[in-house]
Amino acid sequence: MTLRFAFGLFLLAFTLLPAACFAQARYTLSGLVKAAGNGEILPGATVAVPALGLGATADEKGAYQLTLPAGRYQLVVSFIGYQSLSRDLNLNRNQRQTFQLTAAGNELGEVVVEGSGTLEQKLQTTQMSVERLTAKEAKLLPALFGEVDILKTLQLKPGVQNGGEGTTGLFVRGGAADQNLVLLDDALVYNPSHLFGLFSVFNSDAVQSVDLYKGGFPAQYGGRLSSVVDVKMRPGNAEKIGVSGGIGLISSRLALEGPIKKGKGAFLVAGRRTYFDVFTRQINRLSADDPEFDPIPDYYFYDFNAKANYKLGPKDELFLTGYYGNDVFGFNSQNGFNFDFNWGNRVASLRWNHVYNSRLFLNTTLSYTGYKYEITNRIDQFSFSLASDIQDFTLRSDLDYRPNDQHEFRFGATLTNHRFGTGRLQAGSDDGRINFGSDTRYSGQEGAVYASDVYKPNDKWQFEYGLRASGFQSEGAGNRYGGLEPRAAARYAIKSNVSVKASYALMYQYVHLVTNSGASLPTDIWYPSRESVLPQRSQQVAAGVSWLLGNGRYLLTNEVYYKWAQRQIDFKDGAQLFVNPDLDSEFLFGKGWAYGNELYLEKKQGRLTGWIGYTLAWTNRQFPAQRGTAGINNGNSFFPIYDRRHNLSVVGIYNLSERLKLTSSFVFSSGQPTTLPQARFLFQDVFGENGGPVPVYPQRNTTRLAPVNRLDIGLVWQMKPTRWIPAADLTFSIYNAYNRRNPFFVFFEQLEDPETEEITGFRARQVSLFPVIPSVTYNFKF
Amino acid sequence: MRITGISRMLDSARAGLLATGLALAGLAGGLASCGLQKDIDVVLPVLPAQLVVEAYLEDGQVPRLTVTESVAYLSAPTPTIPTEITVTLTLPDGSRENLRFAPGFDRGTGKAYTHIGTRPLSPQPGQRFQLEVTDNKGRRVTGSATMPARIPIDTVEWQFNDREPEFREALILTRFRDPATPLNFYRIMIHKDSITDDPESEFALEDRLNNGEEFTLGTSFRFRPNDTVVVTLFHLDQAYNNFLESVEDARNANGNPFSQPAGIRSTVEGGIGVFTVLSYDRRTVIVR
Repeated sequence: MTLRFAFGLFLLAFTLLPAACFAQARYTLSGLVKAAGNGEILPGATVAVPALGLGATADEKGAYQLTLPAGRYQLVVSFIGYQSLSRDLNLNRNQRQTFQLTAAGNELGEVVVEGSGTLEQKLQTTQMSVERLTAKEAKLLPALFGEVDILKTLQLKPGVQNGGEGTTGLFVRGGAADQNLVLLDDALVYNPSHLFGLFSVFNSDAVQSVDLYKGGFPAQYGGRLSSVVDVKMRPGNAEKIGVSGGIGLISSRLALEGPIKKGKGAFLVAGRRTYFDVFTRQINRLSADDPEFDPIPDYYFYDFNAKANYKLGPKDELFLTGYYGNDVFGFNSQNGFNFDFNWGNRVASLRWNHVYNSRLFLNTTLSYTGYKYEITNRIDQFSFSLASDIQDFTLRSDLDYRPNDQHEFRFGATLTNHRFGTGRLQAGSDDGRINFGSDTRYSGQEGAVYASDVYKPNDKWQFEYGLRASGFQSEGAGNRYGGLEPRAAARYAIKSNVSVKASYALMYQYVHLVTNSGASLPTDIWYPSRESVLPQRSQQVAAGVSWLLGNGRYLLTNEVYYKWAQRQIDFKDGAQLFVNPDLDSEFLFGKGWAYGNELYLEKKQGRLTGWIGYTLAWTNRQFPAQRGTAGINNGNSFFPIYDRRHNLSVVGIYNLSERLKLTSSFVFSSGQPTTLPQARFLFQDVFGENGGPVPVYPQRNTTRLAPVNRLDIGLVWQMKPTRWIPAADLTFSIYNAYNRRNPFFVFFEQLEDPETEEITGFRARQVSLFPVIPSVTYNFKF
Repeated sequence: MRITGISRMLDSARAGLLATGLALAGLAGGLASCGLQKDIDVVLPVLPAQLVVEAYLEDGQVPRLTVTESVAYLSAPTPTIPTEITVTLTLPDGSRENLRFAPGFDRGTGKAYTHIGTRPLSPQPGQRFQLEVTDNKGRRVTGSATMPARIPIDTVEWQFNDREPEFREALILTRFRDPATPLNFYRIMIHKDSITDDPESEFALEDRLNNGEEFTLGTSFRFRPNDTVVVTLFHLDQAYNNFLESVEDARNANGNPFSQPAGIRSTVEGGIGVFTVLSYDRRTVIVR
């Protein structure tokens, strides 16, 4: 299907739809559910009519809709962690009402134990393979260095692997690091991490929630194979000016929010910066006289988030989101060697929400995202720089139409203009005698149209089906690709407390991350589909059962999945990935398949809440002989580094008292595959100057590191309010409480006689990254 | 510029980040961070031993080469030298010469060798040589090598810094011109006083980004007045360059968690190693 044809279909749908909607006769109640005090929208909140046994759930934008016969009703609006609200309603016309719920329990509003989405809602929804977390939940759990990180918390969910201890990388159901669609208020984020993945770019003060889709992808999402990480920023306080922040072990945060104009809009700005460099500079200064001391490079990161919303009128509202973050790494020696390495994301989106009527909503978003890194190196009078970047401008429009309680239609289109700077190199000398450079750039346009419907024929059955048509083009004749992406899901309620669900999704991915490290790094570059690099494609089927137990206090879910993918990308041995105008020639193509079982038990009410997740999974990849090579591992299938056979996570939050909560998480996972040299040989070189052993790596990932297990413990103490600081807490965390030496990597070391410097033997050494790390964070709000 | 140079820089950046992360962990963990490394037992698959050949033919030199065997990584460090080996060198005119097994050390370089020929060679650019190594276990390693053209060094200059006389140091600038044909690879070694010592600087280059242009390479300020500086410019064929890159990559991968371990790209078949004809130009200057 060509893009032009697909867009034509989309426009046709847009043209015909409004005519269809006015033909409906039933009265509809619609609006938003928000938190009182700060105006925060509450996705997952329910608006119910107990007398009829009917209800609706607020969507990711906090919008709900309920169509009822005319009459008088009592409505109950509820959301976990908030006080329920009861209202009388006289429904004699289509109405729009916004409900505001008051947070239960505490002043900070941060220690909502149960999180978002009730277990009942999880049971009822067609959508499977999704995990939702709020920043409030993430803030409760113990964190590395006390730095709350919503992406790391997602790693505690079944089906999600990390890229290494303490890192934020997500590997979902056998997918690679570049196969996650990470969105911040509908704008793509290319590199969602700081410090090679130790911290995510999402400041917990600015984030409201994140939805992770592992399968059963709704049709509005596309462009990546394995997951959607949909992060929503919280809006500012619409009622009053407020300041919140935190002082932690390695960073501090500050957020300012308030109304722009009472009843019209609100703003939020939040920033944070690490101060690790302050300590390392001091250490370097104190050790300056020690000839054995290697100075620690300077490193810090900072980021800013901003969000504003403003009502233009009763039916129109604008939302502006911005993110700006940088990592700064530098080393400057006194002998003329300077090294600087900077990287960061810039994200901006402007969304216009228009309500045609109580059944028809339109959201149009213009967004920009950019990521770049630059390394500059200087020795005496010679300088050298290397850089890469990617920039996208995206326009998307989503139309929601809910004609009645049985259907929820959604239509949309998106168009993105990509600019890829895959490698810019510049080398020179101060006197100009050395001066050369290279800059390789590509562009591409990616577009899609989609339509979907959630159909509820009766209480037993519920379906969600959709079709997405996507396409991509880049420079060069014939560089046009596209395909249809059908999506389908169904739910059948066996009993009132038992549902079975199934889903299918096909996904295309048109831009690819060029990395040979197996983990996502700042220096990785994005590359478009072109010529010999065809779009990646995957399909996934999943089936599961959800069982509400213990009078609704527990939800037991079991899901099985099978995913198969074509045109997976890897690279030749010794591939030249940087500043290579002929990068296409370095790619290898293969297939991948993954399957597994995810068991999940969740408890959201009571003094003790939390979850237990267990995943049994296999991930395989296979790259046959091609392009003058024997493929990878001679064409045999192998396990990528993110394959883990067993994965267990146990998370518990216990209310010791009204002001004290004990939290903990325990993880166990099988060892990750790794590549170790199996043999060595002696190499002398031309003049004997590089003599020594050379490792031989005949196959990839033939060995596994030791299993990982770790216990983290936390304590959240709500402090008594004072006149100046009405809400504050101290959060204590102990990361890796029993000081387990989990493997980060293994290397072989040669042993030498200290006197003769002769090699006396070899041994294997395991390196761990994090010992037991206690931390304390002070959070405040006024 | 050869990409391995860039990769090395990126590796440095990654290693620096790792060091920062470890320091971060160390600071936060205090004393508990001691012992973040430990010895472990690793069971590695047993690979059959492969013949390893290292052979460089050089103008005016009697051919010498080394034949060893690959061994299990954690085995004893003693080199394994197979003795029942037959080495045959085929010269450009088709004549064959058997190199005899006579282990020894090259006095010029201090390198060990296992086999030696009978007379010096006079290879010319474009001439092709062949090598065959067989043993009594049925293993057979073959390779062929063509001598690349000699690329002359145009100039070697030095430039002193502005520091006080006792701290004065010079950098070395080396210039040469790349031929118009693509796919040329270079290796520059800069030794002080003698080539038997480790080089002061070493560069690996290719002409992918500046084919046919003049190359200028500069060292940092590191040479003292009256130092004797020996600059050697090797012109490599692609196979030899790939082999050197793969050796470097394999060594870097051991101990670097961000590196993708890669196999050795040998210039020979049936075993591991390199067989090549050296083509180089050399200049010796005294920095004054």
